[in-house]
Amino acid sequence: MSRQANRGTESKKMSSELFTLTYGALVTQLCKDYENDEDVNKQLDKILFSHFLPRGYNIGVRLIEDFLARSNVGRCHDFRETADVIAKVAFKMYLGITPSVTNWSPAGDEFSLILENNPLVDFVELPDNHSSLIYSNLLCGVLRGALEMVQMAVEAKFVQDTLKGDGVTEIRMRFIRRIEDNLPAGEE
Amino acid sequence: MSRPAHRRPEYHKINKDLFVLTYGALVAQLCKDYEKDEDVNKYLDKMGYGIGTRLVEDFLARSCVRRCHSYSEITDIIAQVAFKMYLGITPSVTCNNSSRTEFSLILDKNPLVEFVEELPAGRSSLSYCNLLCGIIRGALEMVHLAADVTFLQDRLKGDRVTEIGITFLRKLDEKKYRRKK
Repeated sequence: MSRQANRGTESKKMSSELFTLTYGALVTQLCKDYENDEDVNKQLDKILFSHFLPRGYNIGVRLIEDFLARSNVGRCHDFRETADVIAKVAFKMYLGITPSVTNWSPAGDEFSLILENNPLVDFVELPDNHSSLIYSNLLCGVLRGALEMVQMAVEAKFVQDTLKGDGVTEIRMRFIRRIEDNLPAGEE
Repeated sequence: MSRPAHRRPEYHKINKDLFVLTYGALVAQLCKDYEKDEDVNKYLDKMGYGIGTRLVEDFLARSCVRRCHSYSEITDIIAQVAFKMYLGITPSVTCNNSSRTEFSLILDKNPLVEFVEELPAGRSSLSYCNLLCGIIRGALEMVHLAADVTFLQDRLKGDRVTEIGITFLRKLDEKKYRRKK
């Protein structure tokens, strides 16, 4: 898949509103397709792009290639560096925000990303019959998929959500293990 | 999921890739839901319409465009201001009829298809980017302009360029509004 190199007529940047509204359309469609919130959450987490990309690719897997090419970050030496890169470079690039990194576990294998402002939820209020919906769950799937491609198995989950009335949105990230294999894990 | 009355003040510029991949996920989900390409196309257009009716408010608030006096001014603004703002590209505009109600936007580069090599087997009539047509249609309708918007050419279908046709449905009396520049 070749990239068009012509920078004169195309900017890599866009305003986030179209993304926010398109993401809303995706969540709405999934809510129509799946009866309960847990299934929607699961779909958002493992969102597959299988029609249009080779088998096994998900958004995070595809995004990391672009991110590494574009951001010039070097190899991270530990999970703390990884956390900083995620918050200060990746989130900034793709969502225009810089979450803070806090609440490190004593072992240094868990931390929180605190999002004071989440552009995905602009204009969104959760209806009463969707109180368990993790609206932005795509982000967890993207984080997991992306880190898997750099040999890190992690868990990512929302532990606070402004859509549910919490003061901030908090994503808890946990390092599980290093993946020694260089091949992307296939999706079943 | 309704919209709160207040607007947040900051405007975020983001890298397009996450959006482009999310768009692909949306199309893939609709392909699971609808067997026929025509139905996916229709649904994308309908969703786009809903998005357009809301996006236009944001656009008008931020772009400070003046009142337009002709369909070609409007089409120019869609191409040079709106597409630039929301997709980072500037399609070129051509006028297709002498009464100046039919226009084309020629997309030389289309970021929405960056990760799509080709349409999958059995999906040869899919208008992958049909959300855009709905968006334009919905946005125009909110400013009281009725238009048909459709893809006339599509690179994913083997055409040389991607071309969106906009046909304004009511005749604007241009003599009435023409201003001397």
